[in-house]
Amino acid sequence: MRLMLTLACTVLAGCSALAQDSGKLKPMEVKPELAELGKRMFYDTRLSGDTTLSCSSCHQPDKAFTDGEALSAAYTGAAHFRNTPTLANVGYRAAWFHDGRLGTNLNDVSREMITETYMMNMDMRIMQERMKQDPVYVEMFKKAGMSEPSNGGARNALQAFMQTIVSRKAPIDTGDLSDAAKRGQEIFNGKASCAACHSGSRFTDDATYNTGVPNNPDIWSDPERHSAFVTYAKFMGVENYMNLRQDVGAWVRTRVAGTERSFLTPTLRELTWTAPYMHNGTMATLEDVVDFYNAGGGDDPLKDARLKPLDLSADEKADLVAFLKSLSGETFDTDEYVWRADDYGYELIENWRDTKN
Amino acid sequence: MTLTRTLSAAMLASCLTVPALADGHRPEGLAALGPPPIPADNPMSDAKTELGKMLFFDPILSGNYAMPCSACHLPDAGWSVQAPISFGYPGTTHWRNSQTIINSAYYTHLFLAGSSKSLEAQARSAARGGVAGNGEDDMMEARLAFVPEYRERFADVFGDDWPNIRHAYMAIAAFQRTLVQTDTPFDNYMRGDDAALTDQQKRGLDIFAGKGNCIACHNGPLLSDQQYYNLGVPPYSGWEEDELAQITFRFELYAKGSTEELYRNTKDDPGLYFRSKDAQHKGKFRTPSLRYTKYTFPYMHNGMIETLRDVVVFYNEGGGTNEFAKTKSPLIKPLGLSDGEIDDLVAFLESLSGDEILIEEPELPVMEPLPAAAQN
Repeated sequence: MRLMLTLACTVLAGCSALAQDSGKLKPMEVKPELAELGKRMFYDTRLSGDTTLSCSSCHQPDKAFTDGEALSAAYTGAAHFRNTPTLANVGYRAAWFHDGRLGTNLNDVSREMITETYMMNMDMRIMQERMKQDPVYVEMFKKAGMSEPSNGGARNALQAFMQTIVSRKAPIDTGDLSDAAKRGQEIFNGKASCAACHSGSRFTDDATYNTGVPNNPDIWSDPERHSAFVTYAKFMGVENYMNLRQDVGAWVRTRVAGTERSFLTPTLRELTWTAPYMHNGTMATLEDVVDFYNAGGGDDPLKDARLKPLDLSADEKADLVAFLKSLSGETFDTDEYVWRADDYGYELIENWRDTKN
Repeated sequence: MTLTRTLSAAMLASCLTVPALADGHRPEGLAALGPPPIPADNPMSDAKTELGKMLFFDPILSGNYAMPCSACHLPDAGWSVQAPISFGYPGTTHWRNSQTIINSAYYTHLFLAGSSKSLEAQARSAARGGVAGNGEDDMMEARLAFVPEYRERFADVFGDDWPNIRHAYMAIAAFQRTLVQTDTPFDNYMRGDDAALTDQQKRGLDIFAGKGNCIACHNGPLLSDQQYYNLGVPPYSGWEEDELAQITFRFELYAKGSTEELYRNTKDDPGLYFRSKDAQHKGKFRTPSLRYTKYTFPYMHNGMIETLRDVVVFYNEGGGTNEFAKTKSPLIKPLGLSDGEIDDLVAFLESLSGDEILIEEPELPVMEPLPAAAQN
């Protein structure tokens, strides 16, 4: 227990380093053995109730830990009502989920994802015993300084692994910007004023806004998605949840009139890997996104007042896209981020009667 | 609850007053089975039991939309599972024997250690348990709302604007109260039909009530006193042979609230202890009804005894041993029955089952998009 607290403190200290002004993102400090354990868990389907989903089912390393779908898949018999967000630099975030409803740490985020019925639907008490039945985990927990597999240790490990997912060698960091990208950067900071919200080294202010992103009708036409949304809305205490046909976004935590349909400013890093875009995946390309803002955002009475038509020329839009593309770095589909070994299995505990549980 | 108790007591009393008939011995303490008690807060109706039947077979009440009640209570397997241990949720195994639904309506407590006080509560626990349905109430309730036929039926039966998950469990319980068998050869005999039992079965009945003393616990119209005993049933063999069973066993110890000491060292199912946390209750399980047992093999809380004859032999040898030796019932001791007497007793036990109860499984409706709302 004392060990776990110590670990948790180290991790929190890492989180508080999140206010970087701009420029390169530094790797976060994590205990390597803990991150290695989290990496193996991240790709393990035994973290879901019916053993069909791992974290990586929706957070795929070759897509900067997204899934390429407008709306995410979900647990067996369900479907999600939002787009899978990238995990690039996720350890630096101040809040998680598109509505920002968790503002504590990635340990809590892991628990939410693993236990939520329409996501991984895992009773973590079973997960703990599954890990204890796998000698590789037993060994890895020991190496990470824990006496045996446990739920708390598992979530700390997942947190440590996710903290290792930090962008590397994006042109914006190496300074290797094309002329078009440089012109686009000017527009980004100036005429288009994207930097008003997409600020800092992750290009997000971690705040929520209503930009008038259109409703995604596929949520409401698919009972599996819609019923997952109802489950979520009901749990979050949203009134009139059976008649809602809109994602109320950050309102679930603010409860302030006027915040309906507002969502966290997403990071712009790794955009080339993470199409389609927006919290509900309604925009297929970066060009679509730039067109959307050029038109002053969408049509919503609660839209942020700063969104105005930008009057960008075709060339300016192309330059802006070039700049956006310069925010993406190297692929995460490397050994550093992917558990390649197919070594997931259980081992019978021989001499069971004489072995302590 | 009080009503249920009163009803069962009344039933028991009325059944026990059947006079002993001249040319057939009818031991005191046994009786034909009457209609099941119906709780006042969940009255029966055809519409309700019909809805309950659909829900019993509908995988919509599970985490993965694939594990209906009927997955582990199969009508053609005695409304149970004909294997030692019940199927678990995908990726898991269960840890106890699946009990038959038939006559479950008469139990005051459900589950093998009696952890639920009603069929309604049992249905909810099974739908939500990690190694059973692994469902979550909010999600299951949300799904029901997307099935037009359920919207109609819940409105009709319960007056719901949208299907209420608690009402789903009530409907299932009502359906289960229709799954009773009160016309076995034994029942007919107890009601006065001397020809309902064979001579061998009548001899078996005498042993049941006499030399075998089965009646000490298997009494009343249900042939269960609904009390808890440790017979020394050997532990489930899977705990030494099956990795998934080892996982589930530790999960159950952990989930049911164990001390560190108990969690680390227990190697068998503590049964009733989980409810009372009283060491004298370790390894105790509820006396099961002996009705419908022709179809519900294998036997005991962990399915470790294969046939009815094996069960009788087990008792004839004075039960068995498990790690809870201290709590083994003193009622269990060698009986000294001959092979012939064992045969007679088995023949009698068979008279406690009537015809197999099979039904036509209902057509299941599916989720459909909800009509557009009038306003957001």
